[in-house]
Amino acid sequence: MSNRLRSLGVVLGFLGVLLVLVLHWQVFYWVATERSMGVVQRIFYIHVPAAWVAFMAFGIVALCGAGYLWLKDDRLDQAALSAAEGGMLFTTIVLLTGPLWGKVAWGVWWEWELRLTLTLLLWFIYLGYFLVRKSTENPQKGKRFAAVLGIVGALDIPLIHISVKWFRSLHPEPVVMNPDGPTAPPDMLITLFTGVAAFTCLFFCFFLLRYGLERMRHALVLREAGRPGGPVANGVAS
Amino acid sequence: MDYLRQVGALVWKDLVVELRTRERVAAMGAFTVLVGILFSFAIDPSVVQPQDIASGLIWMTVIFGGMLGLGRTFHLEEDDGAFQCVLLSPIPRDALFLGKVIANFILLTVVTALVFVVFALFFDLGFGDHPLALAAVVLLGVLGFVAVGTLFSAMSARTTMGETLLPILVFPLLIPVVIYGATATSSLLQGLPVSEVDGNIRMLAAFALVALASGAGLFRFVVEE
Amino acid sequence: MKKLFLSIVVVTLFVALLPEGVMAQEGLPDPAAIAGQNLRGHTHMFIAYFIAWLLILGWAVSIARRLGKVERALGD
Repeated sequence: MSNRLRSLGVVLGFLGVLLVLVLHWQVFYWVATERSMGVVQRIFYIHVPAAWVAFMAFGIVALCGAGYLWLKDDRLDQAALSAAEGGMLFTTIVLLTGPLWGKVAWGVWWEWELRLTLTLLLWFIYLGYFLVRKSTENPQKGKRFAAVLGIVGALDIPLIHISVKWFRSLHPEPVVMNPDGPTAPPDMLITLFTGVAAFTCLFFCFFLLRYGLERMRHALVLREAGRPGGPVANGVAS
Repeated sequence: MDYLRQVGALVWKDLVVELRTRERVAAMGAFTVLVGILFSFAIDPSVVQPQDIASGLIWMTVIFGGMLGLGRTFHLEEDDGAFQCVLLSPIPRDALFLGKVIANFILLTVVTALVFVVFALFFDLGFGDHPLALAAVVLLGVLGFVAVGTLFSAMSARTTMGETLLPILVFPLLIPVVIYGATATSSLLQGLPVSEVDGNIRMLAAFALVALASGAGLFRFVVEE
Repeated sequence: MKKLFLSIVVVTLFVALLPEGVMAQEGLPDPAAIAGQNLRGHTHMFIAYFIAWLLILGWAVSIARRLGKVERALGD
């Protein structure tokens, strides 16, 4: 991997860890406690940033996928794969922290709340993305299939968003609290932004390192293929 | 004009193959009737009236039954390499996709009509006061479903997991069809005016349009070797 | 006489049992009660933070291990 990308990743990682420390100080000592929900509301300072990163990662997956189909450059596919892995991780975090908050705030583990529902569907789209990649004999095919799934998913997510929102307006729930309403006081907003910045830095740190890993694997496969008598790489010429 | 003739020829080919084998329509038809029977025993009539949840059951039956047929869209041709010959013909890939979608759409429309007849018989269901609006809802919903399903059926047919992969890929993307289709069907079966489902029909049309356009554009990357 | 006795008992019991609620409404809210209310679900919060950082750390470790493996393979 190019050393510049790796050092950028490491710098972002340090920045991310620093921001995470600041975030924890803010969350546990500084920010005011929300009146109606109590301390459990503080889950939000990791829940919302994780959701932001999960959806941003899917944007990267779809854009890199479209670029891959267009330019047939393996690097774009490797970037899409790296973003998808990070996206799946942060989507899992959203899905695990959401119910923990919901159990206290709503009294139930799961509520068909718009953004939570959307995140669950996103998780399944990510799952399909990895399954499609894994279940093809020819890796080139898997890359194309995954890119197609990423693009269709990105086109469909707005429609899913609209439809779930509409469905919920049809059946109003009595106890839905607006978690980040326009009335949030500034210290909460600052904490939230620290969280978003920390998670974004961490995501890009992991993304760059994961991308570098994929580049090195690629180089390894090419070298093995070039070695006399070595196994022939299955269609991994770039 | 040429383009339409090509699409027409592909549709005709698929329908003739289906008429001769009757493989998919028979499987889907039997499946939907059996699901209707299972549903009538699975629902406790002292708790909920089947008529109240009929629209949801109808859509689930259409989607599950449809997956059965859509999953085998490319099977026959894939088995003896006939699809390679189709790919070698000078037909643009999007025409190929549209041909497959239209053929599947016709098959699934037949099956959906059967589903409605079965549910009308088993659950004593009327078709509401606006059969035309109901037909528009159902046809647009099925069109969107078929467009997404055909694209991913081409994909799953080329993976080692095969048809088992298809629902995992397609179901999360189908949420808009299920939501707008089932609620509109429910409103129409209850006899609400057409103006109630106006927005649903528009959203179903939008979904079908997006699915058709993205499928036509991306199909060539799926069938490319 | 009996009735009077009974009513005194009832009133005494009433006064003895009620004041906490009444007094809490009169003066400032009881800090302990507020704290209890606010700390509602704090275990959930800690579990959420624990899960989140565990997953992130796990992924970082897995990337580092995979990187090390590929680097060793590239080295020889």
